[in-house]
Amino acid sequence: MNVEKYVMKYAKKFSLLCLLTFVFVPASQAQIKHIEMRVEGMT
Amino acid sequence: MKQHLGRQSGVQNVEVSLIDGKVQVTPKENGQIDPAQLMKATYDSGVTVAEMDMTARGKIVKDWSGTLALQVEPNRSFAFESNDLSKSLESLASSQAVVTVRGRLYKKPASKTKADASVPLKLLLLEVLKEAPKKE
Repeated sequence: MNVEKYVMKYAKKFSLLCLLTFVFVPASQAQIKHIEMRVEGMT
Repeated sequence: MKQHLGRQSGVQNVEVSLIDGKVQVTPKENGQIDPAQLMKATYDSGVTVAEMDMTARGKIVKDWSGTLALQVEPNRSFAFESNDLSKSLESLASSQAVVTVRGRLYKKPASKTKADASVPLKLLLLEVLKEAPKKE
């Protein structure tokens, strides 16, 4: 049935999107953005 | 020094200003950079680190001893040196809220010339840049 196929197709895509979000979002949320040092004795 | 620091793991770019002695380090996109390793590499290149400031994004957590810390990776967190700003973030501990903060990881003591690498770096909060809304 066409409707069933249609639903299955988008359900698979949605599942994949959820999985990718779970894998990648935590990594992009927390991280060191920048480090600045003041140093002495540089020539 | 620029080349030496640029070879460190997780470093994308290093900018050195000879005029004011400032070194700006931009991490790679994944942000997996180790400030302690960076400090050691700086010493190895023959200069002394006077101050190290960090801008980071992470979750506020409490460690086993109850000390507040910023968790930037699942296995890496920086304990806060207690001040008014760190106390203001206490309510976010154990929530999933993500904050962006700027803080001082190291300041050269007046008496010593070299940092003790065995002491873990503590983060003295200077500024809370962005506080993401709590997820309910």
